[in-house]
Amino acid sequence: MLEIRDLHKDFGDVAALNGCSFSVDRGRMLGFLGPNGAGKTTAMRSIFGLIRPDSGRVSWNGDPITANETRLFGYMPEQRGLYPKMKTHDQLAYLGRLRGMTKREAAEAAAYWLDRFGLAERRADPVEALSHGNQQRVQLAAALVHSPDLLVLDEPFSGLDPIAVETMSDVLREQAASGKAVVFSSHQLDLVEDLCEDVAIINHGAVVVEGNVRTLKDAAPIRHLEIEIEGDPSPLLGALEGVRHSVTSGAMHTVIIDAATDMRGFLARAQDAGRIRHFTYTTPSLSDLFREAVQ
Amino acid sequence: MTGAGIIWQVAHREITERGRSKAYLVTTGVTLLIVVGLIVVPTFFGGGPDKYPVGSVGAGNEAIIDSAGLLGNAGLEPGQDPKVIFTVTSFDRVEEAKAALETGDIDAVLVDAREVIVKSASGFGGSPLVGLLQRGASSVELEALVSEKGQAAADVIAVMTSDPLTTTTLSGPKPGKENAGVVAYAGLMLLYIAILLYGTWILSGVTEEKSNRVVEVLISSVKPWQLLAGKIAGIGVLGIAQFSGTIMVALVAVKYTKTFDLPSIGATSVANLIIWFILGFLIYAMLFGAAGSLVSRMEDAQNVAFPMTMIAVAGFFVSIVALDDPDGLAATVGTFVPLTAPFVVPVRAAFDAIPLWQFAASVILVMLTIAGLTLVAGRIYAGALLRFGGRTKLREAWHSAAE
Repeated sequence: MLEIRDLHKDFGDVAALNGCSFSVDRGRMLGFLGPNGAGKTTAMRSIFGLIRPDSGRVSWNGDPITANETRLFGYMPEQRGLYPKMKTHDQLAYLGRLRGMTKREAAEAAAYWLDRFGLAERRADPVEALSHGNQQRVQLAAALVHSPDLLVLDEPFSGLDPIAVETMSDVLREQAASGKAVVFSSHQLDLVEDLCEDVAIINHGAVVVEGNVRTLKDAAPIRHLEIEIEGDPSPLLGALEGVRHSVTSGAMHTVIIDAATDMRGFLARAQDAGRIRHFTYTTPSLSDLFREAVQ
Repeated sequence: MTGAGIIWQVAHREITERGRSKAYLVTTGVTLLIVVGLIVVPTFFGGGPDKYPVGSVGAGNEAIIDSAGLLGNAGLEPGQDPKVIFTVTSFDRVEEAKAALETGDIDAVLVDAREVIVKSASGFGGSPLVGLLQRGASSVELEALVSEKGQAAADVIAVMTSDPLTTTTLSGPKPGKENAGVVAYAGLMLLYIAILLYGTWILSGVTEEKSNRVVEVLISSVKPWQLLAGKIAGIGVLGIAQFSGTIMVALVAVKYTKTFDLPSIGATSVANLIIWFILGFLIYAMLFGAAGSLVSRMEDAQNVAFPMTMIAVAGFFVSIVALDDPDGLAATVGTFVPLTAPFVVPVRAAFDAIPLWQFAASVILVMLTIAGLTLVAGRIYAGALLRFGGRTKLREAWHSAAE
C-alpha cells in the first residue's frame, strides 16, 4: 500500500504541497484530481524521491521508500520523454534492465507490451518515427515493462484519441485487477468516474476530498437536479432554496442544490408551473463533487 | 540490481547507441584519415633523395658538384639511400643554360667554377642547393690548400661535416630529445581535441536527456549520480577506444613511413598520453556533465560550457609555452592547477623535464579534484535535472538537491 502523509513542500514563496495526504491499496485504482497548479505533479514526483518534501512521509507497505522500491514502481511523467533515436524495443528493454530485469526478461517484456499495443512491427523503428498516439503507448509501456507493483501516471489520457483511451483504460483496469496499486491524475472527470472506485481531490497543496466515489456521492451534502418545463421557470427556480450552482443550456436547467432542500414541495410547485418534460434528482456527479471541493 | 550494475547498464547503452551512431563512426574515420594523412602524405613529397639537376658551362665545375654531393650525403650509414643526387648537364654557352633554367630543366648553372646562376633568389623555404654548391666550392679550395700535406678530399669533407663542439642547453629539450618535441606536440594536440570532443559529448548527452525529457523517467528508477557516472563511463570507453586506436594507427604509420625514429616514441610516452587522457577526460567530463544539466535546450549548452572551454584553451596555451620551456614558471604552475595539468604535464613528461615528485603530486591532485567533483558535480546535476526551461542557477541546483 502506498501511503502519503502530511507532505509539505515550498518552492520559494509558493507552497506546492501543504499537508497533502492520501493512500492507495494494492488492487485499487485511485483517480488523483485537482485544478492546474494544485500540486498533483509535485506529489507524484515526491513518491519517487524526485522532489524532497520539506516534511511529511511517503511509505510503501509501511516502510519509507528508497531506490530499491522506486525501481519496482512504474512512472509516466506529465512531460513525456523517451530517447527519440533509440529503437522502440531496445528502449523498453533498456528501461527493464535499469529496473533490474535480466536481459532475457527485459527483451520478452518489451516484446509483450509492443505486441499488446499493436506496435510489434514497429519494434525496430526509432521512437521519433512513431505517431503521437503511438509514442504515448510506448510511454505507457515504459512504465509497465518491469511489471511494477505501483503505477503512478501523470495525465495518462491527455492527448489520446478515443480508441487509445479505451486501450489505456483496459490496461489500467487489468493492472488493478491483477493486484497492482494504480494512481493516475486526470482532468477528464467522466473517465475517472468510469474507471476509478476511489478518488482524491487536491487543492492548494492539500487533499480536500478522499474516498470511495460511491460513498462520497451518497454522503455529499449536495444533489444534482435537472429540470425542463414548458413555460417560464424563472419564478419557480428563483424561489428554490439552497442553490449552490446553476447552469442553463437551452430549456434545460441544471442546479446543484443542498441535499437538505425539500424536493416534494418543489416538485409540486413545478407541476403547477407547467408541463414537466424532464426531471432528474440524483446524487452529484464527480464533476459536481470536484467543483464543490475546489471552489 | 547493484549500483555498479546500473552504472554498467547506462554505460552499455551509451556504448552501443553512440558507438553505432554515424557521428561516432564518422569522427573515428575522419580522425584516422587525418592522422595517417599527416604522417604518410609528406613522405610522398619529402621521401627519397632530393634531386638537383645542375647545368655546367666551362671548366672546373664537376669537382664542386662532386664535393657538394659528398657534403649533402655526409653521415650516411653504408647501404643507406643517398639524401641528395646531383646530375650534370653541360652547355656550350651561358644563354643556352639560362634558357634551360627558365624552363625548369635544371635548378642552377655553374659557370667556370666562379659563378652560380639560379632562377630567383626567394629565400624562405628555398632549396639548400646554393648553400651546398658554395660549401662544395669552399671544400674544393680547401682541398687545394691542404693537398700538399697529402690530405684527401674525403678527409676535408669529414672535417667540414663534423660537430666538434658538444652542445649543452640550459632549458628546452635536452639534446637527443628533439623528437620528443614532435611527440609532445602531437600528443598535446590529440589530448586537447579528445578531451574537449568527448567532454562536449557528455555536455550534449546530458542536455539532450533533459531536452527530450527522458530524464524524469530515468531518475524515477536510478539515482542521478548513477546516470551521470554511467554516461561518463560509457563515453569514456568510446573515447579511450578512439584515442588509443588513433595513437596505435599513428605508430604503425610512423613505423612504415619511417617519418620518425620509432624507439624515441616509447611505450612510456604512449602510457603517459593515455593516463593523462583518462584523468583529463574525467575532470572535464564532470564539469561538462554538471554544466549540461543546467540547461534544457541544446542551443544553451555551448554557452553554459564556455567557462570550461576557456580553461581548456588556457591550459593548451600554457602547454605551448611548456613546449619551449618545459621547466619554466608557466609550466610549473600549470602542473599544479588541476584543470591545466592534463595538458601541461604530458608535455613536460615527454621532455623528461618534470621531477618525479611533481608528476606524482600532479596526478594525486587531479585525482583528488575528480573525487571532489564527483560530489559537487553530482549534486548540481541531481538538483538541476528536473528544472526545465531557462537556465538553472548553480546555487538553485545546489540547494535543490539538498537533503
